[in-house]
Amino acid sequence: MKPRDYDVAIIGSGVAGIAAANKIADSHLRVLLLDENLHPGGQILRSLPGSMETRKAQRFDPLKKTGHALIDHLKGQRITLMNRAKVLGIYDGRELLVEEVEKRVFTVRPRAILFATGARERFLPFKGWTLPGVFSTGAVQILIKGSGVLPAREILIGGSGLFLFTVACELLENRGRVLAVLDQGSMVRKVPSLRLFLYHIPKFTEGARYLGRLMLSRVPLRHGTTILEARGERSLQEVVTARLNRDGHVLEGSERVYKTPALAIGYGFVPNIELPQLAGCALTYEGNLGGWIVKVTEALETTVENIFAAGEVTGIGGARKSLIEGYISAISIVQKLGKGVEKSCLSRLKEERRKHLCFGWYFNALCKLPNHVLASAPEETVVCRCEDVTLGDIKKAISEGHDTPGAIKKALRVGMGNCQGRTCAPVLYDILSVYTRRPARGIPPLSVRTPVKPVSISTLVDRVSPGCRLAEPS
Amino acid sequence: MMTGLRIDHIQRRERLQVSVNGRPITAFRGESVLAALVASGYLILRRSHKLKEGRGALCGVGVCYECLVSVNGLPNQRACMVEVEDGMEIEIDEA
Repeated sequence: MKPRDYDVAIIGSGVAGIAAANKIADSHLRVLLLDENLHPGGQILRSLPGSMETRKAQRFDPLKKTGHALIDHLKGQRITLMNRAKVLGIYDGRELLVEEVEKRVFTVRPRAILFATGARERFLPFKGWTLPGVFSTGAVQILIKGSGVLPAREILIGGSGLFLFTVACELLENRGRVLAVLDQGSMVRKVPSLRLFLYHIPKFTEGARYLGRLMLSRVPLRHGTTILEARGERSLQEVVTARLNRDGHVLEGSERVYKTPALAIGYGFVPNIELPQLAGCALTYEGNLGGWIVKVTEALETTVENIFAAGEVTGIGGARKSLIEGYISAISIVQKLGKGVEKSCLSRLKEERRKHLCFGWYFNALCKLPNHVLASAPEETVVCRCEDVTLGDIKKAISEGHDTPGAIKKALRVGMGNCQGRTCAPVLYDILSVYTRRPARGIPPLSVRTPVKPVSISTLVDRVSPGCRLAEPS
Repeated sequence: MMTGLRIDHIQRRERLQVSVNGRPITAFRGESVLAALVASGYLILRRSHKLKEGRGALCGVGVCYECLVSVNGLPNQRACMVEVEDGMEIEIDEA
């Protein structure tokens, strides 16, 4: 098998990626499915290998059932699944540079590319959020689902949006103790419109189940409450919270201290746009779909011909939207490559997609952060964790005239560390929006270059001149 | 009652020999290096570049690079993206 003989390369084996891979392979096209993780299925289908419990739980969740059936189907001969494979870059918008299992690097030039790169969590920095013991809500969920381990026996949960409740329930169901769930937003905004409710009865039933479970376990739910500071000698020991008034300002005297060894924080999700950006795909700003998203047609083609995008990268909307988009993009790709495809379901899929985008707007709006909170954070709050750049450093740079993310990156190395800005860039955009009084869509995202993920020099050197190894430092 | 941080109603696969800075810890096949570390109480995994602050995992899914540890002598591995293996030697910066 020569790597360059693929018809379609799919980047990301989450729900969108595996749905598309199966559908495309059905039309006798050769698919290369690449993913950095150890197992296909993305974060939603993570399960402890060999555990009966996770399989049992999936029986009651139709989406997970579909997802696991899709994973089982991947073993078809026309799909090459490569796990632990990082796409490091894209040349002339077509050729992918891939590192397989931390060693071999190869290039592949497929006829079509599908970006199903998913999303990551969004954060709102506060003083002390860098302390060990402060985890993201996603990290807590993955520790439980993927390894059957709790981060601590007692945990405080804070941030914004509905995902806080999901994680709180997963902790309770596994005998974790949840001290409280603190949501910056208000309870009232969580009430959906009747139309949205009717579109998504299963989702709101699930939400009601979570809420009921939390109330039954007497977990305090505190809305309009923010985290001011995390404190601890070497790792987390206590968390200071405060209530916010209607304008998002901290209410004097409402501070409260929770003693806890672990804190889970989550503020919604942002799409992983870096690779499509590198391929030259146009982005568009949709505040209620996660910020900068990949611009796509109804057929899910990007602005670059033969490059498609599906799932969270076209707007945060949940796993079912990703599944639907996986199918839609597959139909589009197969048609584009001149093969026949069963497309009778296309109009229904497109209608379903619109309904899930509506849910996305509701879901993401609940994660919106009041800008005042960010503006009132202390100067020493670390924003870029890789390079230890503080809010004070960034404010100073802005006052000196560095008023774009790119200019601040050059001045302070924000986003130049190991994570390449994946954690801090959305925060940086918010800070710039607040301090330069520009709308979020007026802040251009950081530019992206190959390699988009850290790679050892020796791996790249070996690519340029095989067998040539770097000398050991003496 | 649950005593450790491993959820007790989950059936585990085989127990593996894994060490952290030369000290043996309990680990089971299928767990991530991060989970094995957390379950044994190791939260501080590395130190930050400039401020030299102790840091531990944030995202848990390979995005933030805060959980970098050395695995079998190979430095800068994301603990959340590697599964434990028998005989694995993990090095962390505890200081």
